[in-house]
Order: sequence, then structure tokens, then C-alpha cells
Amino acid sequence: MAPPVITSILSLELESFRNLDSVVLRPSSNGLTVIKGDNGVGKTSLLEAVVYCSTLRSFRGVAKEAVISNGKAQASLHCVLLHGSRTVDVSVDITLSRRDRVQRNGQRVDNGRDLLEVLQTTLFTPDDLELAKGSPSLRRGLLDDVIAAASPRLGAELASLDRILRQRNALLRQLGGRLRTDDMATLNIWDERLAETGEIISTARANLLEALVPLARRAFAALAPGAGTLELFYLPSYKGSLAAALKESRDDDLRRQLTTVGPQRDDVGISAGGLDARSRLSQGRQRCVALALRLASHEYLTAATGVQPVLLLDDAFSELDEKTARSLVNELPTGQALLTTAGSLPPGSEPDLVFSLVDGVIS
Amino acid sequence: MSVFAGPIQELVDELGRLPGIGPKSAQRIAFHILEVPKEEAVRLATAISGVKDRIRLCERCFNVGEAALCAVCSDSRRDSSIVCVVEDPRDIVAVERTREFHGTYHVLGGALNPIEGVGPDQLRVRDLLGRLEPEGVAEVIICTNPNLEGEATAMYLARLLGPLGTKVTRIASGLPVGGDLEYADELTLGRALVGRRQMAT
Ligand SMILES: [Zn+2]
Repeated sequence: MAPPVITSILSLELESFRNLDSVVLRPSSNGLTVIKGDNGVGKTSLLEAVVYCSTLRSFRGVAKEAVISNGKAQASLHCVLLHGSRTVDVSVDITLSRRDRVQRNGQRVDNGRDLLEVLQTTLFTPDDLELAKGSPSLRRGLLDDVIAAASPRLGAELASLDRILRQRNALLRQLGGRLRTDDMATLNIWDERLAETGEIISTARANLLEALVPLARRAFAALAPGAGTLELFYLPSYKGSLAAALKESRDDDLRRQLTTVGPQRDDVGISAGGLDARSRLSQGRQRCVALALRLASHEYLTAATGVQPVLLLDDAFSELDEKTARSLVNELPTGQALLTTAGSLPPGSEPDLVFSLVDGVIS
Repeated sequence: MSVFAGPIQELVDELGRLPGIGPKSAQRIAFHILEVPKEEAVRLATAISGVKDRIRLCERCFNVGEAALCAVCSDSRRDSSIVCVVEDPRDIVAVERTREFHGTYHVLGGALNPIEGVGPDQLRVRDLLGRLEPEGVAEVIICTNPNLEGEATAMYLARLLGPLGTKVTRIASGLPVGGDLEYADELTLGRALVGRRQMAT
């Protein structure tokens, strides 16, 4: 197989972005760049800016206005990146009232897809701890994001599944717990659509998980050598066919006015050394699980799409002991990685570049 | 918020209620109307009231027309044994343009969409059932939109009509002919690849 196309950021300029007035970051084009700084100086904002250049959204789940510095009318990002052998120039102006002004190599683009094509990222944040200990929706979300990035067709099926569920739940609410003969026909239709699309998604998720297992296992073994083997298994909310399960749960669904079986209720079971990750692993180990899942999806997507995303690790050393932190640095895949930390670097780790962010200045 | 003199604001407000017209466009159109010669503005007003006075829905198929029966239903050359079911009268125009269809139509008035509160009772399904026997309908072609709601409606009608002995068909969906592959959406192209077929050799 041909080696993947490597994406890397050559320079990133931020203006009036969050609490950063005017900053230029020139990371190492290959390998690890570490950005050190105290909490609240804007390290995360640098990574947020990278993701914004790719998706035109903040990964912190806030409205775009929130990224514009207080009292300013607009924030600007300018990113020069290498996509394989091509240099691509991306500039984004984020304004309060209007749509973002986005240019790629000086040409105006309207479609976010034009940016995703040249810049993809894998992001790890401290919140990812919830992948190991939080609700099932986060684990499903991780799988679905990877599925959609690897296959636009399945991405469209995911959107379709979401709409089918909303239609079916709306119908269940309208029925108010009673099913007249006339309504049976329409409910049957939505059941049929849900069964068809739901099976496609469940199968895609289970297949993806199977592909992720060896990758995640290897990463986890390196990060937490004493913790035993990592196990990941898909936990469907039903047995047998979804069509049969929907029939069986129909009375329940009517009473609760909600679809109680289907991929929207599935989960991913995680354990290490035979211990359930949610309830029995220490927080440090749970962090290793989350990191292993992100690194595995990064590696999977690189192989599946032939394009290596930029790896972004926000505050990745937090709550990790020195040995684990060092293993993380050693375990990083080839390609560009940006890592932020409030603490010191683990002894023995040798990043390609180290910057400090103090008072809005990178040095 | 009233910014303009009474009659202009009224016009801006009315225009702003039209689909696809935002406040800025509404203002632009209102001031355009203010500037054109009076005859031109009156012609527009007459056209608007004319469409409400003279246009009515066909009693049989719910297409738009000027008489009790629309132009298609009153054309004796049309084959009434084959009925093409569409969501909207505009879809009739699209099918007519193909010149491939010589039967009659039935306008449902939408598609199954519980989120919007649309079920079979909100669509003209009963009226369709009522046409099958008297008109001797042998085939119903379901021509609803190729989206989730259109497909659900098609399935619903197929299940409903099938047992009555009427042949039910669905238009095929696929890649646009004469267009560029690069403009096809992922789902259409992806499904087309998954559903590829062997060619005669
Ligand atoms: Zn008619």
C-alpha cells in the first residue's frame, strides 16, 4: 500500500482569537511539537484554531462568536499547510454578524468540505476521559465520527438514521400510547426503515470496532504496561434482527413514546485485565483507555483514507505519571503532532520543538 | 419594528412572509415596486389576485387548473388506467416535461412526516383509493421524492395498494444522466457503487 499523504501545519497565525491578540505558531513539520504554558494562557485556543481551520467550528461546542476576542469585531486565522507535496494556504475571517469568510489558496470557498479535504485532525482533550467512564453516547459518537470520516456514504446513512429516529419518536408521541389499526401501517413503515438503516449502522460500528481492537490494544499496552489486555466489544441493545426486536418492543415503545431498541441504544464495552473500565479502573488507567482509543482511530483513519491527520493532544499529560507520559511521547505515530501541557515534560522524552506561551507570546 | 411609512412597511411585511424572501430582499422588492410605473405594479397585483380567483384544485387529481378538472384530467387522450402519484403539483410539470407519461396524476399534497404532523390523514390518500375502481386504475406509479419521507410514503402506499390488486411501481433513482459524476452526492453515488451490476459482454 502506498504511504499515506501526510498533512502538516507549517505556520498558523491567529489574530483576535480568544485571548490571543496576535500569535504565530511554527510547529515542526514532522514529529512532536510541545506548547507549554500555565492554565488559562490560551494553549487550548491554539488547538481550537487548528480545528477551526478544518471544520469551521469550535470543538468546545460554543457559538463561533465566542472565539472572537472581547471587544473585537472579527478574529482571523491564517494557516499554511503541507498536504502531501502541495502547499495550501487557508485563511478564515470569523465575524460577529456575517458568515465566515474562508479562502483556500486565495480562492473563496463556501463549503466546509473544501477545508476538510486538505486538513484533517485527530483531537484528544481532557474531556475524553468520559470515553472510558461517561455515557454510551460518547463511545457511539467516537465510532460514528470515524465511520463518517472513512465513508461519506455511511456518513449519509448515519444522518438518515438520526432522521428516521426523530420521525418514529414524533409518531410515537402523536399516538399517545394507543395504536389504532390505521396508525399501525405508518408505524410499520418507520420500523422497516429503522430496521434497514439501523442494521447497516450496527454492522458498520461492530466492524470498525473489530478493526480498532488490535490498534487500541497495542497503544494501551504501551501506555499502561501493567494493566492487562484491553478488550473492546460492541454491545447491541437487542438480540437477533432489529426488525424482530422492534416488533417485540413495540408495546414498550408505545407506552414510553420512545424508540427503546436500535443503534441509538447500543454501547461499547471496555475492560482491561478483566476489569470493567467504567467502574473498576483508576482514573489514570481510564485516561490511558481514552488515549488508546483516540490513537487507534487516528491510525485507522490514516490507513482507511490514505491521509494522515494532524494529531492534537490538549493537556495530554494531566493526571498521567511520568512513565506513562513518556510512553505517550514514544508511542506517537509518525506525522505531525501538537501537544499542550501545563506541567513539565517527562524526563527522557525528546520532542522536536518546544514552545512556551506566556502573556500571549510564543517563544 | 416599523421603520418605513405605513403602506411600505405593510408591503415589506407581506413580502417577508413569502418563502425564500428575507427582510433585506423584502425591502429591495418593496422599493423596486415603489419605483416602477403604476401599470407594472397593478399587473403584478392583478396576477396575484387572479391566481387566487381563477386557479383551483382539480376535483379528481388535485392538480392546479382553471376548471373543475385540470388540463390533464380533461384530456380524453390520457390513459386513466395508469396514475402517477406525486407530492406536489410542481412535480407534475417535471414529469410532463419528459413526455414519457401519458396517464393521469394524483397529488398527495406532501409526504409522511410525523415531525411536521403529517400522517396519511393529512395527505390525499383516501381520495386516491376512491379513484381506483371507478377509473379502472391498473397501475399506480409512485413518484414521490427520493428522500426519507418520500420513500416512506412510497412504501406506505405500496403496502396499502398492493393487496387491492393494483400494480404498484416506483420510479427508479440513480445518477443524473448527462451530468458530471463529480457533482453526484455521496449517498447516490455510494449506493450506485454498492448496487453495481455486471455488464453484458
Ligand atoms: Zn386533474
